[in-house]
Amino acid sequence: MEYKDYYQTLGVERTASADDIKKAYRKLVRQYHPDVSKHKDATEKTKEINEAYEVLGDAEKRAAYDALGQAPRQGQGFQPPPDWGRQYGQYDFGGGEGGSAEDIFADLFAHMGRGRSHRGGGAGAGMGGGGFQMRGEDIHAAISIDLRDAYQGATRTIGLRAGQQEKTLSVNIPKGVTPGQQLRLAGQGHPGIGGGGPGDLYLEIQFNPDARYRVDGSSVYQNVPVAPWEAALGAGISVPTPSGAVEVTVPPGSQSGRKLRLKGRGIPSSQPGDLYLILDVVLPPATSQRARELYETMARDLAFNPRERIGA
Amino acid sequence: MHEMTSISGVLLDDAALTLEELARACNVEPEWVVRRVRAGILGGQPAVQITEWRFRSGDLLRARRLLRVERDFDANEDVAALVVDLGDEVRRLRARLHALGLD
Repeated sequence: MEYKDYYQTLGVERTASADDIKKAYRKLVRQYHPDVSKHKDATEKTKEINEAYEVLGDAEKRAAYDALGQAPRQGQGFQPPPDWGRQYGQYDFGGGEGGSAEDIFADLFAHMGRGRSHRGGGAGAGMGGGGFQMRGEDIHAAISIDLRDAYQGATRTIGLRAGQQEKTLSVNIPKGVTPGQQLRLAGQGHPGIGGGGPGDLYLEIQFNPDARYRVDGSSVYQNVPVAPWEAALGAGISVPTPSGAVEVTVPPGSQSGRKLRLKGRGIPSSQPGDLYLILDVVLPPATSQRARELYETMARDLAFNPRERIGA
Repeated sequence: MHEMTSISGVLLDDAALTLEELARACNVEPEWVVRRVRAGILGGQPAVQITEWRFRSGDLLRARRLLRVERDFDANEDVAALVVDLGDEVRRLRARLHALGLD
């Protein structure tokens, strides 16, 4: 596995106090927050910062991390000492979110202090039959689909590690999902301890960006280019939509920005959304002699002042 | 060992979470959730009996965002709610810009 220098990630010395680590973390979180940062790799950077702080912000995990020594440099190949796992409690390669090889290093620390963070010392834990028993932690991950997948349903393959075992889940994404919805896969989270049941896996549905559409809940907005004469005179046009081509009537006298609502043609969730076609009048270029003549005729024959509303 | 399993999940909007399940999914005590529901920060159902409370996708997402802000900045719940609301608004406006081709 690849060694990660968490101190370098947070920009602090190895001797930094817990308070300094927290301050450095907060500064970086604000700097790279995906909602405010202009950095192209803000999301990735935030992930790295969070991973580093998960370990260095926790006294027990930090001690275990420090015990690994300074040996290798960032990114170099690395194996923990053979007795390290025994000394610092169970470690396994369980459950990176959507697990890739790079997550293995973080997983060394993932299970330390389980159940104590915000649950006050082990809610969900119990002494069953004289032994310690605890349900496995839930895992949260996101899964990205195309808008078309939401119309039809889809299957996505994700990789997970549980214990020493890698498993691949083929997840059925139901038709009609909308962005932000959570798919709960019971029993697919971290394994339990001492016979406790496994946690659940929660997958947040995200949509891949698509320049053609905007999705708001189950409503879908789509820009539709139309010719000036189609907008002015009205026309029947064929429009490719996420659910296939539809024939649409453009009312005469339409302007750019006019919305045409196609009821029930949004995302087919339990309450199907609507599809809004937003007309975008596109001008033919005046690059040919004939085109220039036509524009000149309009300029001469139409008493048209486009700036009338602004007082010109 | 490598195994391939085909599996179907349940959308939280079809089978919502109970209070205990939401708390477990966020790794917090149920009291953490109760407090925020009663303060009008989370969910929309403080009038109904607690055992009847149900939480959907948006609630889980919001609860995890609130928790993140509270933990990262030792923020109190009202400040965290404000930050999360502002984040939602930023995302909404960005989506509008995207739709207008201005991003």
